[in-house]
Amino acid sequence: MRKILIVDDAVSMRQMVSFTLKQGGYAVIEAEHGQDALNKLQGNPVDLVITDLNMPVMDGITLIQNVRKMPSMKSKPILMLTTEGLASKKEQGKAAGATGWIVKPFDPDKLLQTLAKVLP
Amino acid sequence: MNWIFQHRPKIASVSLPQSMVELVPEKGPDVEAELAQYLPHFSRMSEQLKQTSKQIEDSVVEVCGSFQGIALRAKEAVARTAGFLSQAGDGNSDSRSFETLLDECSRTLVKILSVTEEAGEISQRAIERIRQMDQATQSISGAIEQLEQIADGNKILALNARIEAARAGEHGAGFAVVAMEVISQTERSQKVNAQVSELILSLRALAGSTLEDLQRMNERDHLRVEQCRSEADESLKNLQAAHDEMKRVLTGMTEEGASLSQEIGAAVRGLQFQDRTSQRIAHVVEDLETLRTRLTTRFGSESDTSDHAPNHGFSDYTMHEERAVAGIGEAESGAGDVELF
Repeated sequence: MRKILIVDDAVSMRQMVSFTLKQGGYAVIEAEHGQDALNKLQGNPVDLVITDLNMPVMDGITLIQNVRKMPSMKSKPILMLTTEGLASKKEQGKAAGATGWIVKPFDPDKLLQTLAKVLP
Repeated sequence: MNWIFQHRPKIASVSLPQSMVELVPEKGPDVEAELAQYLPHFSRMSEQLKQTSKQIEDSVVEVCGSFQGIALRAKEAVARTAGFLSQAGDGNSDSRSFETLLDECSRTLVKILSVTEEAGEISQRAIERIRQMDQATQSISGAIEQLEQIADGNKILALNARIEAARAGEHGAGFAVVAMEVISQTERSQKVNAQVSELILSLRALAGSTLEDLQRMNERDHLRVEQCRSEADESLKNLQAAHDEMKRVLTGMTEEGASLSQEIGAAVRGLQFQDRTSQRIAHVVEDLETLRTRLTTRFGSESDTSDHAPNHGFSDYTMHEERAVAGIGEAESGAGDVELF
């Protein structure tokens, strides 16, 4: 079963994304901010990361930059899932190494379709 | 406490309406004093907004949790139904589909009927053979009658020989002995013929009753086989119809489950309003906090003015949480409490 890390400071969002992914047959790990995510990725690589942008302790862009430094996560897909839709922010995400950008609210079916596309 | 109220703004920058701060002193000391009186309200308003946002989030988490339970059960029901419908026996497994069982049952019944029919055919052949045996014994009876007639002829012939031997006198004495012996042998032969005739009659009677039994049994079995075949066909038809109906219902359940799953997906999308609402409230709270800080810097601390703060709007509060934030202390019931008067 493929494993996905969800990073969001809002417990409700984590719950909804987790629910959708579990319905799609994925195993899920949750983290409440970037640093929490990095800690959970140590020695425990995942197949894909879905992260919010604005979070306490460590934001999504910084998280991506750090994740890309991890050899086991270098080529794994990372999706941003955020209320932010500004083109400049998307550019930042892309430059940091994000694979895609999804603006909240997400559609469960579309999210699963997107995962199927980006997962090798 | 949700982090967003304590840390960074979710929006990039907060632009405080300058007119609210910088233009106030120009309006004179009365306006300044009145504004200062409202300073304590800022933190209360912020707190009200924070708590409201938290309550929305808690509710959404609870609703989403319930949806998860519903969706999980629906998914399991769909999986069980689909499994039941598609289950196929491979001969090595104990699990067999209903169609396979029905087919096996049908084949077994056909086999039983076939074996019974075969027994009937064997019985029919036995009846034919007994009839042939009866005809053979009838022929034997005819042959015995002929032997009887021959014996009678021999006896007459032996009597005539005795008469002729008597006429011959002394020279015919030996011939008379032979004639007597012929008569004696003929009589013995007649006795044996009579015994054989009796045996043949007994045999024919036995064959006759066996034949009748076999014919009765054969007719009865034939009727039973036909009846069993008809009943088995009817039962199999009923079973097939029941299975088709069950399959139709289960297919409907599968479709309902899939539909429910889609509807829950739509609900999940709808529930995400909370995340956006939460962020927008956080931004308003941040604006209020900034405004309060700047006003406090300008006009003095909240404690200097809190005693004189007007209570406009407090009377409109209807919930315990609102009044608690406003610092209105009065005994009251909590959510879910029931009191009968």
